Amino acid sequence: MTAAIYALIAGVAMGALIQRVRASSPSMIAANLRLENLSVIKFMATTIAVGAILAYLASAVLGKDAMHFEIKPTYVVGVLLGGLVFGVGFGLGGYCPGTCVVGAGEGRKDALVALLGGVVGALVFTLVFSSVIAPINKLMDYGKLTLDQVLGLPAVGVALGLGAIFLGIVYMLPTVVKKN
Amino acid sequence: MAQSATQAPPASSVAAGSSGVPAWAKFGVIFGVVGALSILTWGPIGVSGTYPRFIGAIMRRLAPDMAHANPYLEKMGSLIKPETFLLLGLLIGGFLAAKLTGDKAAAAEYPHAGEKTTARRYRDAFIGGFLIVFGARIAGGCTSGHIISGIMQLSVSGLIFAGGVFATGILTAKLLQKGGN
Repeated sequence: MTAAIYALIAGVAMGALIQRVRASSPSMIAANLRLENLSVIKFMATTIAVGAILAYLASAVLGKDAMHFEIKPTYVVGVLLGGLVFGVGFGLGGYCPGTCVVGAGEGRKDALVALLGGVVGALVFTLVFSSVIAPINKLMDYGKLTLDQVLGLPAVGVALGLGAIFLGIVYMLPTVVKKN
Repeated sequence: MAQSATQAPPASSVAAGSSGVPAWAKFGVIFGVVGALSILTWGPIGVSGTYPRFIGAIMRRLAPDMAHANPYLEKMGSLIKPETFLLLGLLIGGFLAAKLTGDKAAAAEYPHAGEKTTARRYRDAFIGGFLIVFGARIAGGCTSGHIISGIMQLSVSGLIFAGGVFATGILTAKLLQKGGN
């Protein structure tokens, strides 16, 4: 069960980081989605850039088999539809499935309510999956598709390029766009 | 901390850390290291799959026949997975960070202009919670699994999901601000 211990440690770190950048604050999330304050978006982009560079450098040095990559399939219609539904909930509630758990740990009551909404959402999803969702997710399914495959370039190069682009954008963007 | 509906959170707490490096940059780098180490040691971080696995664990106790006849619950498998411990960690991490820094989170914030009562906030939080998990399960991942871990692994699905999330997320937040006044 060493994997569980690593996951627990990663979770504690992730929870603390989310709390520190106030990503578990619905007001902060709403301000980011209104594009008035970009701090959480810049936090996420920095995370992705640093993670991509380190993971693919490690993979280049240690070999792909030493890593635990897990690529999610690109079934275009379902992934996009899911994102659109998710965005409405994210904008309305100001929480995502992880930040409401962090918020609950902080003692936010609306985070607990969002968590409960998520559990009910999972229950309903479970009941309608076979009849409604599964057929949608068969549409335009390209399987486990990665950018380096699309571009026909080495993964470590693409990771370095993507990381540089993300960090460049983050560096250029202002953090506070509109003061209230 | 009581905030009025139209007020954005104070920028000072996130604009710059005590070292002069902005909090988002410092903590973003640390989170990137945590994400890469997770891929090295056990797997990419991801949260939303634990919700249906939790439903499965309950249903297998209360209505085992129904649980075993459900193809999605069978596919998602047991709750005894590293991801469940990740969620437990999120709860502990949020609690500890707030305790150690003396941050007192409001029981409920009111992020939108038109959201002035607690009942309205709880309604929005509940519907929001429902939609994020439902949407994430359609797509097969959420902010952590698809956007952070997904794009970190160069997956195309993560980029498509992120595009969808920010399209309706920005629209919803802007409409709620306008509609509320």
